[in-house]
Amino acid sequence: MTSNSNNDIESSLSQFPPAVLEAFQEASEAMDSAFTEEEFNLWAKEGVSIAGQTVRSWESAVEYYKVGSHVARALAFPSFMQWARCGTYLAQDSPALAVAFFKASPLIVGNLRPQYIPRWAGLGRSLYKGTWKSSTLSAKFFEVSPDLIRSLPFWDVEVFASLIESLSYKSYDVSMECLVLGRDVLPAMGREREAFLSMCRALTDSNWREVKTCLELAPRALQQIDEGQTGRFLKLGERLAKTGLRETAKFLADGTSTLAQIPQTSQTHILDLAEGLLATSPDAVAPFLKSLDIVLNRITMNQLDTWYQHGVEMLKENPDSGIAFFKIESTTSESMLETLSSSLELERVKGVVKLYCSALSGSTIDVLDTQELVNKNIGWVDEDTASTDGTKVFLPPIVDHYPRKDENFAWFKVVATHQVGHLEFGSFNFSFEKPAACFEEQRRSELELNQSERQAALLREMGDDAPDISDQAHAYTDIGRFLNLFEDRKLAFDLFTVLEDCRLDYRIKMEYPGIRTASERVQIEARSGRPEIQQLPLQQALVELLIQMSLEQFTDLMVPTEYKDESVMLSQILHTLRDVRANVEDTTEAALRAYEIIHRIENKEEEEDQWQPEDLDDPGDFSEEQYESMLDKLNAGQQDGEDGEGGEGNPYESPEPVDYRGDFKPEMVQLLTKLQSDKGESGEGEALSQEQLEQMLEDSAELELDAEQGDISNSTSMFAQNIMKEAGVPPPDSESGEGYGPLLHDDDQGGELEAREPKAYLYDEWDFRADDYKPRWCIVKEKVLDEGESVFYNESIKNFSSLLNHVKRQFELIMPETFRKTYRLVDGEDIDLNAAIEAWADVRMNVPPDEKIYWRRNKIERDVSVVFLLDMSASTAEAIDEGRNTVDDRDAPDDPVEYMVWLRRRREGLVRRHYKRIIDLEKESTTLLIQALESIGDTYGIYGFSGYGRENVEFYVIKDIEESFNEKIKRRIDKITPLHATRMGSAVRHAITKLENQPSTRKILFLISDGRPQDRGYSREGVEKEYAVHDTHMALQEAKRKDITPFCLTVDKSGHDYLKQMCGDMSYEVLDDIWALPERLPMLYRKLTM
Amino acid sequence: MVEATEPQYNEYAIEEFLVRSEPYYRPVGDEMELFTAAYEQHIPVLLKGPTGCGKTRFVEYMAWKLGRPLTVAKDSTAQPLNEGEVRVPLVTIACHEDLTASDLVGRYLLDANGTRWIDGPMTRAVKTGAILYLDEVVEARKDTTVLIHPLTDHRRILPIEKTGSIVEADDRFLLCISYNPHYQSALKDLKHSTRQRFISVEFDYPPADVEAEIVQNESGCTSDQAEALAKLGEKVRNLREHGLQEGASTRLLIYAGRLMSQGIKPRRACQVAIVWTLTDEAELQRSVEEVVTSIFE
Ligand SMILES: Nc1ncnc2c1ncn2[C@@H]1O[C@H](COP(=O)(O)OP(=O)(O)OP(=O)(O)O)[C@@H](O)[C@H]1O
Ligand SMILES: [Mg+2]
Repeated sequence: MTSNSNNDIESSLSQFPPAVLEAFQEASEAMDSAFTEEEFNLWAKEGVSIAGQTVRSWESAVEYYKVGSHVARALAFPSFMQWARCGTYLAQDSPALAVAFFKASPLIVGNLRPQYIPRWAGLGRSLYKGTWKSSTLSAKFFEVSPDLIRSLPFWDVEVFASLIESLSYKSYDVSMECLVLGRDVLPAMGREREAFLSMCRALTDSNWREVKTCLELAPRALQQIDEGQTGRFLKLGERLAKTGLRETAKFLADGTSTLAQIPQTSQTHILDLAEGLLATSPDAVAPFLKSLDIVLNRITMNQLDTWYQHGVEMLKENPDSGIAFFKIESTTSESMLETLSSSLELERVKGVVKLYCSALSGSTIDVLDTQELVNKNIGWVDEDTASTDGTKVFLPPIVDHYPRKDENFAWFKVVATHQVGHLEFGSFNFSFEKPAACFEEQRRSELELNQSERQAALLREMGDDAPDISDQAHAYTDIGRFLNLFEDRKLAFDLFTVLEDCRLDYRIKMEYPGIRTASERVQIEARSGRPEIQQLPLQQALVELLIQMSLEQFTDLMVPTEYKDESVMLSQILHTLRDVRANVEDTTEAALRAYEIIHRIENKEEEEDQWQPEDLDDPGDFSEEQYESMLDKLNAGQQDGEDGEGGEGNPYESPEPVDYRGDFKPEMVQLLTKLQSDKGESGEGEALSQEQLEQMLEDSAELELDAEQGDISNSTSMFAQNIMKEAGVPPPDSESGEGYGPLLHDDDQGGELEAREPKAYLYDEWDFRADDYKPRWCIVKEKVLDEGESVFYNESIKNFSSLLNHVKRQFELIMPETFRKTYRLVDGEDIDLNAAIEAWADVRMNVPPDEKIYWRRNKIERDVSVVFLLDMSASTAEAIDEGRNTVDDRDAPDDPVEYMVWLRRRREGLVRRHYKRIIDLEKESTTLLIQALESIGDTYGIYGFSGYGRENVEFYVIKDIEESFNEKIKRRIDKITPLHATRMGSAVRHAITKLENQPSTRKILFLISDGRPQDRGYSREGVEKEYAVHDTHMALQEAKRKDITPFCLTVDKSGHDYLKQMCGDMSYEVLDDIWALPERLPMLYRKLTM
Repeated sequence: MVEATEPQYNEYAIEEFLVRSEPYYRPVGDEMELFTAAYEQHIPVLLKGPTGCGKTRFVEYMAWKLGRPLTVAKDSTAQPLNEGEVRVPLVTIACHEDLTASDLVGRYLLDANGTRWIDGPMTRAVKTGAILYLDEVVEARKDTTVLIHPLTDHRRILPIEKTGSIVEADDRFLLCISYNPHYQSALKDLKHSTRQRFISVEFDYPPADVEAEIVQNESGCTSDQAEALAKLGEKVRNLREHGLQEGASTRLLIYAGRLMSQGIKPRRACQVAIVWTLTDEAELQRSVEEVVTSIFE
C-alpha cells in the first residue's frame, strides 16, 4: 500500500464533511488486509465517486465505507465492485436510496447470488419516481429486503416488488403498508405464495384496495384448507378478481372457512363446482361458497350436485334468480333442499336393507344399485326400477317420492320386500312337473301333450322332409318350456308377470302385515298412473284390467259389455291366486287360462258405449267347467269372425310396467342359475352352446333387443357372452385363467401329476362332487424364502414395542404356572399345612374354620408344536383403510423428552399406515409372534403359501419347524410379499406333513388368510368355489384326524359365510378389524394353547 | 293393602328332586324314542343344539316320563310314590370354567370333630340312579373327563380318589350332557375319546308350525301372534351367517309372547325381548327391527 495513493484519497475526501473521512479511515484497516493494493484503491476511489454524486450523497459514502468489509467477505472482488457501482447509481438518483441499499447489503449478500444484486438494486430503483414519497417507499423496500430475500425465491421477490410498484400508482400509503405486511406474511406461505401473489396482482387492476385486506387475511384463511387445494382456490380468486368481483377478500375469508368444514377429499369437488360456476356467472361463486356451509348440513355431497346443477340452469335463464338460488334466498332453492334432504340414498341404508333381505329370503342377498345391473349388459336396461337376478337385489340409487325420510325408507322396504318375495315365495323355482296347489287341473302338461301330438301328426304328413325339431322343442329352463307353449309369447309372459306379482303382493300382505300400510300407499299411487281401460284395444284392456285388480282395485272397473263374462272369469282366475297356499305353478296355470281367453279375443278398439262399470271384488269361485264352455263359445265366435272379414285387430302391445314391482325376468334368472349349476357337471353334453343361448335370448319376451343397440344379432351375441361370463362359464373363445399367472396347462383336464424336482410333494385333492379324492392332484413346491433386509423386523419391534411388552408379559405368565403351587384351595393335591393348622386352631376355639386347606400344582407341562401358515396370495396386496389409530396411549412416557420421541414415532407409524396392505400386517404380526414364541419356547414353524394352478402350489419356508431362530429369518420376513393365487387345501396338507413328525403332545395348525381359497380351477365362482371350500374343509379335517388342532383366522369381513362351511365344527375367528391383527394373533395363540 | 305372606318355596335334597307333574314338551322328531332306548340300554346321551331350543326341557320331560313305567316300583325309601311311579330323579349341573372334579364327586369338610366326607352331586346321582344332566359340558375343566370316562363305558363306575373308593352306578343311572356347537368360544372342543362315549341327538329350533305351537302353549299369546313370532324366529335365524352370533331362541320368542299376553304391544315386546337381547351392533339391530316391523303391525 503506497501512502501516496492513500493520501490522494484522503485529501479528496476531506472536501466532504468529516464523517466521510472518518468512515474511510475506520474501514481501511480491515480492507487493507482483505484487498490487494489495486483492489483497495478501486474500493476507496468508488467511495469518492459516490460522495461526489450529489450534494447529500456524502451520506451514502459514509454508509458505503461502513459496510464494505462485511460485503467484501461474501463477494469476490469483481462482484464487489459491481455491488459498489449499483450503490453509485442509486446515489446519483437519491442518496437516501443508496443509504438504504448499503445498509441492507450486509444481510443480503450472503443470501443472494451475486449476479442478482444488480437486479435487486433495480427493483428498489423502480419504485423511485423522483418524489419524496417514492423515495421513502423505495428505501423501505431495501429495508425489508433482507427478510424477503432470506425466505423467498428471488423470483417471488420480483413479483412482489412489481405488485408494490403497481399499487404505488394508486396510493403510496397503501403500498407502503402492503410492503410491510408482505414482509410479515409472505415468508410463512408455502407453495401457494405464487398463486396468492398472482391473485393480488389481478386485484391491483380491478380492486386495489382489497390487496391489503387480502394480505391481512391470508395467513389465517389459507391455513384452514388443505394444502393441495390452496393453489386452486387462489387461482379461482384470481379469476374472480379479473372479472371484477368486488369482494375478493370476503371471498377469501368465507371461501376458506367453508372449505375448512368440508372433508379434504371433497374439497377438490367443491372447487370443481366453483370453477364451473365461474364460467357461467362469476357473481354466483362467492354466494355458492358461502351457502355451502348451510347446504351441506342438510344434504350430502352427492345430492349437492343435483342442487348445484339446478342452480346453474337457473343462472343461465335468469342470472338474478340464479344468484338468489345460490344465496338460498329463493323458494326454489329452499324447497329443493327440502326434497333432497328427505330423499334417501341407497348407499346409506344398503347394509340394513341387505341384512333385511337376507333375513327374509334365508340366503345371502347382496343389495346393489340398479346401475350396476345395467352395466353388466346382460339384458336389464332400466336404471330406475328394482329387480333381482336371483342372488342379488337391485334397487334404485335414490328415493325421493315422499317429503320425509322415513317414508322414503318405507318405500325402499316395500320394493325390497317385493323383490325378495320372488325369492322367498319361489317365483324362480317354477318347475314344469310340480303340481299347482289351487288349480285342480294341470293344464300345462295337457297343452304340451296336445302340442307335441299335433306336431307329430304334422311330421307324419310331411314324411321325410320333416325338419328335425326335437332340439327346438326342448327348452333349457322350465319357464322357457312353459312359455314355449304359447303362440304369442309376449302376451303369455305379460300375463304370467302380472299374475305372479299379484300372488306375491297378496302373500306379502298376509305374511308381513307390518308393511301393509306402506305397500297400500305405494299401490294406490301406482293405480293413479294407470291408463284408462276403455281407451285400450280389447286384449290390452283385459290385461290392464288384471293389472288394476292386482293393485287391489276391484270396484268400478270398466269392462267391455261384450266380454263381461270373460272379465268376470279373469277376475276369478286372479282371485284364485289370492291365497297363501298358491304357488308359482298356480300362477302358470292361471296365466295359461287367462291367455286362452284373451288370446281368442280380437285386439280391436271398442266404442265408448260398449263399456260398463263392474265390481269384481267377489266374482265367485273359478270353475273348470265354466271355463271349458267359455272357450268353446269363444272358439265358435272366432270361427264366425274368420268367415267374415276377421283379423283386423291391432298387434298386441305390452302394458305400461308397474314401477314399484320392478323388472321381473324369471327366464333370465332360471337361465343364469342353470348355467351356473350345469357348469359343474362337465362333459354331460347338457351344457348350452352360445348359439343356443342366443336363440333363446331372441325368443325371450323379457328382453327388448331393439334397434338402439345397433345390429341385433351382434348385441344378442354380446348379451350371450356377458351372460355366460356372469354365470361363470368361460366363453368359448376367451383365454381361461386370465390374471392368475402363467398358464401351464388347463386345470381340470389332465390327470395325476408326478413330482420330478426335489422338495416337490404330491397331494391328493378332495372332490366333493365325486365324494372322493383326486389322486396325486397337486404338487407342492417347497422353497426357502429369499432374504431381504432385517430392517423391517427391527422396525416392527420398535413400532410395536409397547404392545410387544404387553404380549410378552402375557406369555410369560403361562410359564411359571407350571411350577407354581397354588395354596389355600378347597381342594387339591395335598393338605396345605399352614392353612390346616390355622383351621384346626379355629376349630379348637369354636370358630368356624376356613375350608381352604389344600394346595395344587398345575401339572400340565407345555409341549406344543405349531405351524403358522400365511396367505401370500395377490389379494393381500389390498390396501387397508387408512388413518386408524391402533397404537394406544397405554404407555406414553411421562418424561417430556421421551414423550416427544414417543410422539414422533407414533406419528411416523401413522403416516406409514396410510399405505399399509394386509400383508404388511401379516408380517408385523409374525414378528410379534416370533418374539412371543421365543419367550415361551414352543416349537414353531412359519410358512407362506401361494401359487398358480395345481402343479405349482408354492410353499415358502420362513422359519422351518426344526430351524432355530436366527438373523436369516428376520431377513426372510422382509420378503413376504403378495404373490399369486391361493390353493389352500394342498398348503394345509403340506403343513400337516411338517407337523406330523413332531413328537409334541399338542400340535396346532394356525392358518392366517385374507380371503377364500382361490386358484385357477379352484374357487373363483360357483361350483369351483364350493369345490375349494370343501377341499380345504377336508384338509383341515385330515389335520384333526392326525391329532392336530386346526385354527383359522381370517381378516376377510365377509369371511363368515364360507369360513363356517370351511371350518365346520373346527374353531375359527373372523377379525373384523384388521388393525387388531398384531395384537389379536398372539393372544389367540396363547388362548388356544392354554 | 299388602299382607305379609309366608315365604313359599320348596327345598329338596338333590336326589329327591323328582319331576312330579308332566312338563310340557312337544316332540319334534324321534328324540323321545331315541332317549328311551338309550336309557334302557344304558347308553349315555349327548344333546347337541343351540341355546334355548328345548334341551333342558326335554331332559326334564324324559325324567318325568321314564318315571312311570309299567313295571312295579321296587323302591322302598321313605318318599311315598304314586302308584306305578319309580324314582328317576333329575340332577342338573351347569358347567363352568371353575367346575372341578371334586365339585362333582365330593370333598372333605371340616367340622368340630375333624373331617367329614360329603358326596358331590355326581356321586349322589350315581348312587340313587338319577339322570345326571351336565349342561354345557365343554365349559367344565378338563379333569372332569377323568370322571366321565369310567362312568360312560361298560364299567359304569365312579372312582372317588380321595376316599379311595369306587361307586358302581345304580342300574337306572344315566349320564346326559349338552353341548352347543355354535359357540365360538369353542376354542375348546370335546375330545373324541369323550365324544365317542355318547350317542348324539341333534336339536335345533323346531320348524315354524311346531314352534308356533310351543310358543302359544308356553306363553299364552294368541295363535296369530305365536305364528308371527315363529316366523320372526325363522327370519332372524337367517342372519346367523351375517354376523349374528345366535339366532333368536325359542325361549326368547316365548318371552316376547308372554309380554304380548300381558298386553304389551307386539312391536315393543319384540324389541325388548328379541332385538335388543340379540345384539348390540347398530346395523344388525336395525335390520332385525325392520323384520319385526314388517311382520308385526
Ligand atoms: N319342543 C319343545 N316343547 C316344549 N317347550 C319347548 C320346546 N322347545 C323349547 N321349548 C321352550 O323353550 C324354552 C327353552 O328351552 P330350554 O331351556 O330347554 O333350552 P336349552 O336348549 O336347554 O337351552 P340352553 O342351551 O340355553 O340351556 C323352554 O323353557 C320351553 O318353554
Ligand atoms: Mg338348558
